[in-house]
Formats: sequence, C-alpha cells, structure tokens
Amino acid sequence: MSTLKHKGKGPQGMTANELRSGLSVWMTPDFSWSQSFEDALLTEDEGLIEKMDETAKASEQENHVVGAYFIDTVDGKPARYRERFRTHGPSYDTADLIKQD
Amino acid sequence: MYRYDEFDAEFVRSRVAQFRGQVERRLDGRLTEAEFRPLRLMNGLYLQLHAYMLRVAVPYGTLRSSQLRMLAHLAVEYDKGYGHVTTRQNMQFNWPVLGDVPDMLEDLASVDMHAIQTSGNCIRNVTCDPYAGAAADEIEDPRPLAELLRQWSMLHPEFSFLPRKFKIAVTGAPTHDRAMVRAHDIGIEVVRNEAGEVGYHVIVGGGLGRTPVIGQTLRDFISKDDLLPYLEATMRVYNRFGNRDNKYKARIKILVRDLGIEKFKRLVDEEYAQLKPSDIRVGKEERDRIATYFAPPAYATNIQALDMTRQPEAFRKWVDTNVVAHTQAGYAIVNISLKDPDRAPGDVTADQMRAVADLADAHSFGEIRTTHQQNMVLAHVRQDALKAVWDGLVDAGLEDANINLIGDVICCPGMDFCALATARSIPVAQKIAERFDDHARQQAIGEMQIKISGCINACGHHHVGHIGILGLEKAGVEFYQVTLGGDATQTAAIGDRTGKGLSEEELIDGIERIVDRYMVERSAGERFLDTYRRLGAEPFKEALYADA
Repeated sequence: MSTLKHKGKGPQGMTANELRSGLSVWMTPDFSWSQSFEDALLTEDEGLIEKMDETAKASEQENHVVGAYFIDTVDGKPARYRERFRTHGPSYDTADLIKQD
Repeated sequence: MYRYDEFDAEFVRSRVAQFRGQVERRLDGRLTEAEFRPLRLMNGLYLQLHAYMLRVAVPYGTLRSSQLRMLAHLAVEYDKGYGHVTTRQNMQFNWPVLGDVPDMLEDLASVDMHAIQTSGNCIRNVTCDPYAGAAADEIEDPRPLAELLRQWSMLHPEFSFLPRKFKIAVTGAPTHDRAMVRAHDIGIEVVRNEAGEVGYHVIVGGGLGRTPVIGQTLRDFISKDDLLPYLEATMRVYNRFGNRDNKYKARIKILVRDLGIEKFKRLVDEEYAQLKPSDIRVGKEERDRIATYFAPPAYATNIQALDMTRQPEAFRKWVDTNVVAHTQAGYAIVNISLKDPDRAPGDVTADQMRAVADLADAHSFGEIRTTHQQNMVLAHVRQDALKAVWDGLVDAGLEDANINLIGDVICCPGMDFCALATARSIPVAQKIAERFDDHARQQAIGEMQIKISGCINACGHHHVGHIGILGLEKAGVEFYQVTLGGDATQTAAIGDRTGKGLSEEELIDGIERIVDRYMVERSAGERFLDTYRRLGAEPFKEALYADA
C-alpha cells in the first residue's frame, strides 16, 4: 500500500504495477498511469505529492494497480539503481531473440 | 513415470477452480491485494520486478513429452514464447497476465501438472538426480522415494505454514551426488547398510542463501519403513522450534546450528518416540506400487555400437561432452545443454521444447528430465540413435557441447527479472560464455562449474560453484564478489570469499586469469577444484586481483 514513506529526497515519482498485466507503471501529471517512465510526474510540490499519494491509494482500492510507492529521483531519473532498472525493463529477454527469428 | 490417480486429478482440478474464483474476486475487487497475495503465491504466481511470473512445478525434474509440449503451449499462448528452467528443476514463465493464469493452470492440470507449493513457507518441489533410473552408479532409482515425498508433503496440513520454505533433495547415487543433497534443508541418499539392506542416509540443515551451510548427518541409516515417520518427527521439531520472528534466521539450518546437531537429533528422536509410526508408515506394498510407475522402460538388446570414426567432428565432440554412460548396455544418457552463449542460461523456446519432446518420443521413451544445472536430459537413448538425436538438436539450436564445462554456467534471473535481485547475472553469464566460446579451450580446461547469483539469496548456488559469483550494487553501480572452491557434490564445500568486489569487466578478465593460472599449475588429471584444494586460495586470489 502506498504511504508517504518516501525519503523526500529530490523530486518524487509514484510507481506501481498494473493489477491485470503486472507491468510497471508510473503516475503521470494528469494522475493517470503510464507504462513509460518518460511520462512520469516528478515533483517536489508537497500538495502534488499529497495528491499523488491519495490517487495511488484510490487506484489500489479501485483495483487498477498494486504495490504503489514513491521513488526519489535525481536529474529526471530514479535515484535508486533498482528503480532506474525498472524504467527500461530487462537488459536481456529471450523474447527479443524469438522476435528476430 | 507417475500418473495422477483419481484423487490427484480431482484435487488439482478443484484447486484450479478455486484459484479461478480467487482471481475473479481479485479483479472485481472483492479480494484486496493483501488478501490475494498469499493465495496467488500458494499457486506459484509471483509479482516480479517487471511483471507477474508463474513458476510451474516439475516434480523431481521429470516430464513426459506431453507435459513438455504443454509447457511449450503455455509459452506461446500466454507468455512470450519461452520458458526458463530453474535451479530447482522447475519451469518459470516471465510474462503472464493475471487473468490468464487460471487458464494456464487448467491447461497444466490436463497433463497432471500444477504450480502448487512452488512458493511459500511449505515443503517445495522435491528435487532429484536427473540421471535417476539410468545412472550406472546408483544403488536404486530415487524417483519412487521422491514421488512418495511429493505425496506426503503435498498440502500436508501440519507443514503448510512452516517458519520458512523447506527444500528436500534425493539421490540414489551417493558416490556421485548430482542432486546437491548437502545444500538442502533435508537431503536423502539411498544407501546400503552392512547387512546389505537398502535404506536412507538423512542429512539435515544444509542450505545456501545469506547463511550458507553444508548439511550434517541426522541418521546414517534409516529403513524404508521408518523414513516417513522420521521425517515427520524432524519437521515437527523444526515447526515447533524454528525461528518465526526473523525470516533470515528461520531456516532449519539455523535451528540445527544453534541447537547443535546432537541436541537436534535428540529432539527428533524424542518426537519420533512419541509418534505412532503406523499412522503414516508406508509399507512395502504401497512403495512397490509407486515404484511400478518408474519401472525401467522396455530396453532393446543387441544394439550395435556406433562407429565414431565415421562421424562428423562436431558430433564426436558433443558425444564426448554431453553423453554419459547408462546402466543398460547399448544405451546412453544425453544431456541437452540450455547454455547457448547468446541466451540466458536455462531459457528454452517453445519450438525447442517441442523439438525435445519429439526427440524424447522417438528416442527416449517419451521422457525428459530438467536439471538443477538448468539443462535437460534424455535419460534412455539407444547408442545407435545418438546421431539422430544430435541431428534433431542441431536443427533446434540445442547442440551446445559444454556440459560441466566453463560454458555451462548456472545463473539466476538476476535483476533482469527478479524483484529481490541486487544486480544482473544473465549478462555476466553471457560474457563468460563469450570469453570461453572456443570449444577446444573449454575441453582443455575441463570440469568447471561457474555459478552466479544476482543477490544474497543465492538462487544461482554461487556458494557451491567452483567459481561462485555474487552480484551486488552500491551507489548505483553493480559489482561482483567471487568465491572459489565451492562444491555441490558428495564432497560438498562452501566457496572461500576472495576479497573485494569487482566490476563486470574486471570480473571477466579476473576469471580468465584464474583459469590461466590453473592451467599452468595443474597436475595431470586434476580438475580446477582439485588444483584449488591442493594449492589453496592464494595463487588464484593473486590472479583474480592481478590488475585490480
């Protein structure tokens, strides 16, 4: 469940996984969700952060997403390595080789 | 091979229907994620770093061809066209969507398969020697025992909420342990006592993860009649005294370590004395009934030996590396490498699964094994059919001749897929495979097990790799710690930490220097592990850090 557990360091983003697909999503400036981190809302505005938290909780209750949480960002990218990695998906996937075949 | 009886079939079908209802209730909001999570995990469904992952149980790593074709079907219909053989002989699918999972489980049930107990604090899929029933060095086929343990542990009401997950491995070949029994919560070896009676050597408290431990003998010999009551007593002691406050101290290895093996034994014996063994003892009649499912296939006789001098060089190399002796004259065990240097170790496409299933039908009595080293095995191939099998594997792109060589790297999914990982492991495996791509060089190096884990949980078994690699991350940079001298076999050992971590580039160069040093230092017939044990860690540490 999302809570304001973020460290509050740098602009904040909100991420989760879609309930149906399981894919990673990020909250956008219009408080919807995108599978692309490039669309993510990153902000230090406390009011927006509060609204992100409320929206994430509502999205979880409405069964759109699961496991929402804040991420710290630096220079427009997630601060933590794991979160940076999540934004671009696996660096290797056998599915890509199957497509080439 | 074991086939579900009416109770198994009915139970699995009802479980699918139950989970279908649970998914429906989750999707329409009647179940919260907090309520649903334990239910999906009980059915092998994880939510990983990028997507859901379904882990399908392959009991003791044995598949019928129809089951492998069904796994191929799942890969195509519900995933991205491939599956991943895990270090517990299971198969994982990395990209299912939640709504499809009940259909996947229903399809699996149609071929006597499921994903139950592939997650959670229960007794997980029992693993086994992949050469079981075919190995020239085994005392007895361990699969009837593995099947008995499966039946005993499946939804065991007392052991469904253990302090932590629980892993059991069995082997029928104690002199050549290919099941890693000393690195399991309980390992069981088929042994013969002085009277010539066949029974079991029970090992307890092994495990890898953040606290690697080699298991210790709990009982040198226990009779077949007494095994299940004795295991029941062992599990009860763990269930009662295992740590439930701290998940990092909850495995049985910690309990055994803290109590000491003698006190642990005494507690088990006391519990055993209070049991009514007749309640759960499985007699000879029932054991024999189970064993009939694993009766040797109808072997042919008078099979002509293959004239290897007239065969292509690539085929001869493959035979040298991937084919091993069978207990039956005229037959061979074929290892199918899933270690194409361009692929993730253990990944196999749907087309390849179908090709292997066809080869199994044509040449191995319709049976396939998965291995904890993330390969596959055709256990009963006529020697005069080896060329036809190889031709089929070449057509499927599965002809890599690297079993037990440096290219046969074990590797967890790492951060590319796993939510727990701290660093990637697949690219490291690929770079090692690329660096040592030359087959002649691999052959010259000889037996070498490199095992890579992308985090401290050690799913890639790095502690027992001849060269073990642990991926970590600090300040946004991946780095890799190296252990040397680990051993997963009957001479099991935890590898020695070498020192500070290395970047990926430093690591690959360092491994090459270790290998070069070994090639210089080795005496005739020595494997890397032998040379390491003779010389100690220093020369190899020196090589690893030569440029660091």
